[in-house]
Amino acid sequence: MVTKSDTEPVQIEIFPRRFLNPDTAQRLLDEIYRSGGVLRIMIQGPNLPRAVPYGPGKGLPIEEHKNLLLELGDQAIELRVKVGRIGLELESEEDIESVRAACERTLPFSFDIKKRQLFHTKPTVSDYAKYGSEVEDKRILGLVDPKAKKERNLAMLSDSRGDS
Amino acid sequence: MAYKPQYYPGTTSVGKNRRKHMSGDLEKLRDISDADVVTVMGHRAPGADYPSTHPPLKEMGEPDCPIRQLVEPTPGAAAGDRIRYSQFADSMYNAPSVPYWRSYWGAINCRGADPGTLSGRQIIEARERDIEQYTKVQMDSEMTDVALSSMRGCTVHGHSLRLAEDGTMFDMLARTEMGSDGKVSYVKDQVGIPLDKKVNVGKPMSEAEVAKKTTIFRHDNVAFGGAQGARKFDEGLIALHHMWERRSRWGFRPE
Repeated sequence: MVTKSDTEPVQIEIFPRRFLNPDTAQRLLDEIYRSGGVLRIMIQGPNLPRAVPYGPGKGLPIEEHKNLLLELGDQAIELRVKVGRIGLELESEEDIESVRAACERTLPFSFDIKKRQLFHTKPTVSDYAKYGSEVEDKRILGLVDPKAKKERNLAMLSDSRGDS
Repeated sequence: MAYKPQYYPGTTSVGKNRRKHMSGDLEKLRDISDADVVTVMGHRAPGADYPSTHPPLKEMGEPDCPIRQLVEPTPGAAAGDRIRYSQFADSMYNAPSVPYWRSYWGAINCRGADPGTLSGRQIIEARERDIEQYTKVQMDSEMTDVALSSMRGCTVHGHSLRLAEDGTMFDMLARTEMGSDGKVSYVKDQVGIPLDKKVNVGKPMSEAEVAKKTTIFRHDNVAFGGAQGARKFDEGLIALHHMWERRSRWGFRPE
């Protein structure tokens, strides 16, 4: 018998002890995506600006932050933050252990996994301003900052789980 | 017997380090050349003349003033240099001079300097040739660990953030980089303008070493209120409580 709690999605946050380099983040996300059961992924951390934002050097390009890409499934998304937290929505509670195993395989330092509500369930005023009164796909709620461009910061992955 | 300032109370390593920083009795760990310090500061090109805001004091004909006769001007003030600054961000992960100790060091040990501490950064302003000398002392001595402290004139974010994988403090402008040999180099000046040549500042201290040299109380190193389960307040905390109580009740007057 399948109980209700087994099938309900769960939301967890991976909080590594250190910020992740882009290649470590890529490896970790690959592992998590391959293990399956992922409904939503959110990456959060301090901004990596493309140009100096203030001071006498304002506007000078920051070459180190250019061309940072995260490739996941059939999509590539520009990495614009130093990866500090990863929010995940998983199909069921059982998937948490496979995420934990992926973290243990990939991260060379300690990490915490906290189970908590990460994404809001009802549209906020900001969502209304951003998406209008009718949100076509409720899964995008809470995935990007109110000011961020969803075309740039949001990617829809197919369900191939990187097998192809 | 000559008076010996006590500077700061406490018997912990943090208390001792705080006294060291305030007294200026610091260990020199590295020798960064004057030209490299000037390059990272970014106010003038190394070897260039010092721009001035007024003629040298000797040529100005100062008014007859007893204070001016008593106080010898610093070399920068005597020459009429501009006021310039150097600003450091120090990580809360056991950086050696955090959170106020660069400013206390500057206020006590540097003549003609205006130090200030803000959220996560510490700035010292002084005449140009004076601040260059003060900055060199900071960069050469145990006040600075090259991974956990860096000179940041703007976009200073990093003090309270987790460290990067290589153990360096997060820097939004990528001013420093860790080489494959484990040595840290500045590739940009303190405001993020790329340098023609990297400035190598050497290897960072080990985690154990910074834990010994830090001036910050942390629950995972030297806790402010003693070890968990065996509370024994540091003398520094008792003194702080004492000042806080006196100040709250009557306005603190240390007499």
